[in-house]
Amino acid sequence: MKLPSLLRRTPFRLTLLFLALFAAAASAILAYVYFASASEARIKAERDVRGEMQVLTGIYKERGFDALNRALIDRTLQDNSFLYLLKNPDGSQVTGSLTDFPIAEMEENQQWITFPFTDTDAEGRVTRPQARGVQVRLAGGEMLLVGASLSDTEAYLARLTQALWTAMGIVLLLGLAGGVLVSRNLERAMGRLNKVVTAVQEGDLKARAVVRNSGDELDELGAGLNTMLDRLEASMASIRHAGDAIAHDLRSPLTRMRAKLEVALMDAEAGKIDGVDAVQLALDEADNLLKTFNTVLAIARLQAAAGRTPDPKVFDAADLAADMAELYEPASEDKGLEFSAEIERGLMIEGNQPFLAQALANIIDNAIKYTPTGGAVMLRARRRSSGEIEFSVTDTGPGVPEEDRERVIERFVRLDNSRTEAGSGLGLSLVGAVMEAHGGRILLDEGPGEYGGFGPGLRVALVLPAAE
Amino acid sequence: MRILVVEDDAEAATAMVRGLTEAGHEPTHAVDGAFGLLEAQKGGYDVYVVDRMMPRLDGIGMVETLRKDGDQTPVLFLSALGEVEDRVTGLNAGADDYLVKPYAFSELIARVEALSRRRESGSVATMLKVGDLEMNLIARTVHRAGKEIDLQPREFQLLEFLMRHAGQSVTRTMLLEKVWEYHFDPQTNVIDVHISRLRAKIDKGFDHAMLQTVRGAGYRLEP
Repeated sequence: MKLPSLLRRTPFRLTLLFLALFAAAASAILAYVYFASASEARIKAERDVRGEMQVLTGIYKERGFDALNRALIDRTLQDNSFLYLLKNPDGSQVTGSLTDFPIAEMEENQQWITFPFTDTDAEGRVTRPQARGVQVRLAGGEMLLVGASLSDTEAYLARLTQALWTAMGIVLLLGLAGGVLVSRNLERAMGRLNKVVTAVQEGDLKARAVVRNSGDELDELGAGLNTMLDRLEASMASIRHAGDAIAHDLRSPLTRMRAKLEVALMDAEAGKIDGVDAVQLALDEADNLLKTFNTVLAIARLQAAAGRTPDPKVFDAADLAADMAELYEPASEDKGLEFSAEIERGLMIEGNQPFLAQALANIIDNAIKYTPTGGAVMLRARRRSSGEIEFSVTDTGPGVPEEDRERVIERFVRLDNSRTEAGSGLGLSLVGAVMEAHGGRILLDEGPGEYGGFGPGLRVALVLPAAE
Repeated sequence: MRILVVEDDAEAATAMVRGLTEAGHEPTHAVDGAFGLLEAQKGGYDVYVVDRMMPRLDGIGMVETLRKDGDQTPVLFLSALGEVEDRVTGLNAGADDYLVKPYAFSELIARVEALSRRRESGSVATMLKVGDLEMNLIARTVHRAGKEIDLQPREFQLLEFLMRHAGQSVTRTMLLEKVWEYHFDPQTNVIDVHISRLRAKIDKGFDHAMLQTVRGAGYRLEP
């Protein structure tokens, strides 16, 4: 990675920003430590100097000038850390480790000052460290100065400053290196995701991001991208599938209609039937075609809606079930089937009422169709112990062997090209699509067992989440 | 009956005008919503048949404008869109009925005639009478030739709808939509079974059958 491009990367920019913030914070801390230490050292020096001055002025008061002078000479020889200077009122120097007063004319009798003085360090080099002291005019007009060197503090502060600067330098270097590293890692991870996006852009819907399940955000993004692509691929496949199904479901009836019309035309020409019958035949077939077309369209739209219910409303599933029972009971009884309904009250669900009505109608219709005369069909609507709402239709037809149920559900769930008869199974596919759009599921089970010489029957249940 | 057909597809419009003329109506054609609006404002129409998708002013805009101007002429929306939301927006815009393309022509005629009839029966009637069949809407009783006929509640509603549209063809879809208030395809002819039960009650034992099957369309109640 070249540096200019590195500078444009978000993680690296963030690193720089944080480093700058850190440097500013470190400088502030440094300044604080520096000034706090400096003022602490000055206060300590002043306290020491004040004590020493008290001792010395005490000697002067009690024993006079000469005693003070002697004490000063003793102290200077003892090589303590204080600086001294004593002068006569006329300005001539009496004794001391300094050559001159920092200030000649004092405004008051006692004055604090910071001043440089000449010293030699351990190796004998001449230095000019700072000192803090107080200058006092004694009762006899003599001038006395007591000071303390600040050189220890200065050295300490210099070392501290240096240490802080060094630490800052190391942190900045490490931070930069870390930034580059993080940035490169991120770049690599983003590159992988970008590669997937580019591949998809170029039409490869099978491209997927590598997910390591590390739980980090990029991994999550990758997983999200994969889910999105799965969904997209499934939806593309179902659209393609729907296209195939439309072609399949429309071609056969169209072929049939054409053949029937041709035969009808011949019959009409031969005077065997009149033209009206032929046209009526053609109309019936056209109506069937339209129905098939509408069903396929509805399935495709539900699937394209990808799990979202179109135009959802909260309504009572019990009313829907009761209406369906009322609507289908005569047709069922006409076929010689015992029809019964068991409907609990107050089953509120949220969904698209026409589509749910269609789904329920399709499974009732299926039950009526596949149950032999003398059998029974039962519609039930109830609240499951899980709180979900369940519609179920139980018949006494031949049922579906256990090993085939999975396959039948699959047929519910997607459009099946293996169908030979137009319309057969398409209704079940629509049920599957409706349930998918409502976040529901289909359950297949055995019916009541042997009944009137047939059995074991089939129980189809549509399970939907209850409205909140 | 004067019908304003607002449809931008020339071929579909020609077929519709011809069909409506043959069914004994007087159709006028407007090529888009803007012309449709001008034509409608001239007045004198019994029903507007309006295509939803049109250049310049679409069906929704046209009907909304008409309704705002206080024009209460019944509107039948035609649309290639079949989603439930589409029907809801169409009806919200002020349409009275909604038909999805492609439709059977018999369905269109039946719905147009049903719409115009609805306006005529705007006043609140307490009795319906078709031939020797009488329905009391308050007492909810039905008599034919003086003999009381016992009907289930749904059969009563079904007969009421047929009587209100006596002499007109009503399709199975219309019955499911207007009597049961459901919009779906019932697969088998469940409506036929309900009709035959009703027929058994109102026609059996009487000199002539009133409830007729109209081939390719649906049913018609004749006096």
